Amino acid sequence: MRNLTIELKKCKRTGILEVLPIIGLLGALYAFANFTVRKDVLLNLPLPPMDVLLTQLYGMIMVLNMFGIIVATTLTYNIEFQGSAIKKMYMLPFKTSSIFKNKFYILFVLLAVCIVLQNGALCIIGNIFLPSGTFDLLTLVKYTGYCFVSTLPVLAFMLLLSSRCENIWFTLGIGVAGFFSGMAMSLSDIAIFLINPFVLMMKPAVASTASIDMKVLILGFVETIIFFMVGWYLGKIKHYE
Amino acid sequence: MKNMIETKNLTKTYKAFTAVDHVSLHIKKGSIYGFLGPNGAGKSTTMKMLLGLTAPTDGEFQIDNLTFPNDRVQILKKIGSFIESPSFYPNLTGKENLDIIRRILDLPASSVDEALELVGLSEFGNRLAKKYSLGMKQRLGLASALLGEPPILILDEPTNGLDPAGIHEIRNLVKSLPKRYDCTVLISSHMLSEIELLADDIGILNHGRLLFEGSLEDLKFTAHEAGFENDNLEEMFLSMIDEDNTNRKQRLKL
Repeated sequence: MRNLTIELKKCKRTGILEVLPIIGLLGALYAFANFTVRKDVLLNLPLPPMDVLLTQLYGMIMVLNMFGIIVATTLTYNIEFQGSAIKKMYMLPFKTSSIFKNKFYILFVLLAVCIVLQNGALCIIGNIFLPSGTFDLLTLVKYTGYCFVSTLPVLAFMLLLSSRCENIWFTLGIGVAGFFSGMAMSLSDIAIFLINPFVLMMKPAVASTASIDMKVLILGFVETIIFFMVGWYLGKIKHYE
Repeated sequence: MKNMIETKNLTKTYKAFTAVDHVSLHIKKGSIYGFLGPNGAGKSTTMKMLLGLTAPTDGEFQIDNLTFPNDRVQILKKIGSFIESPSFYPNLTGKENLDIIRRILDLPASSVDEALELVGLSEFGNRLAKKYSLGMKQRLGLASALLGEPPILILDEPTNGLDPAGIHEIRNLVKSLPKRYDCTVLISSHMLSEIELLADDIGILNHGRLLFEGSLEDLKFTAHEAGFENDNLEEMFLSMIDEDNTNRKQRLKL
């Protein structure tokens, strides 16, 4: 708990704690604006109303979330490298692997806040705009969990990357390249592409139904755990040099 | 007298380059040990090994009878350090930076103000660290090393970037520390006159090899025996380095 508090204190004046909640608000506003303006077009699509609500807005929300994650994870380690603060951390009597672990926990909670804000908006939209009796809260909750799990590998991967790269532009560059690789590979049905965390995150956005793909869900958990463990282990065994 | 820090054949190589070559140091408890050497001699690398920032290629060391990596946390609890350049979070104020370290060391909140006072940074404690001048950053780094009055201090060129008054002030501060709370200080500097005024014992390093270890008097005696000028430490030091460099060139030719 003490180390978590320390990590939170380090974030002061960096915008790290604000990025993902702001992305959440932007996503919520986008969903409201889009559904208000395009309500008739969207509800006339040959899809069940819940599928329209969950899949037709998620594309843009997912892009916002992806860039929010890239910026937040990059900034999180940039504060450690900018004034060589991490060097001091390695000279202090505490477990250096806890830096990665606690940064992950903080971003995990912030991402959850972001996704709750966005899906809270979808809940309100569903109650207001969907035809009476078609809104299903349980489906929304399940799909929210599915999107959250498919997003976590990008969070863990980008945090791992930023913990190893001192150059902020390198981390950002890989994040942007990851976005384009996801765009290019997510429409394909080739299963091996799912190893790419960016493809995994985009899968719910390119689907036209709100059904949960178990392959994506399981891989989401597995990749998150792998990236987290690698980041934690490298923090533990690597020397500062 | 008991040795607080002891290294035995400590070696660090980077591919074909040997930065530290079988260095054996003996640093007595409660003393100030001056670590001298030209740039690139291996002083910082030796200090980094003592702090676990880099792993030795060969050799071993003990700090208060504890060894790395098994006793890493115990060792670092005893050491206040300042290596190469000050490390800080630029987005935080000087006070907030020290507060992070204070929390890790589990010290009372008052220790932050005490450390700032000690290095003469009290009135700038609430300024963002990124807006500090080089000298102020140096003082902040020193304050972070002194936080909680650790029994061992490892200071790598702590007066870099300070003005003459600042150098004098920090020198007096470092000199007073062993008396103030019985700490052991390992300090490196290329300011030879500085070390001469501070240190009880001296180690001279060149190209990773320890050329001399002993008290200032021992050094004068050794230098005198070897026919060096013994007017001051600088003369002796330069003579020793020159001779070692000449020998090294000859060895390389062979």
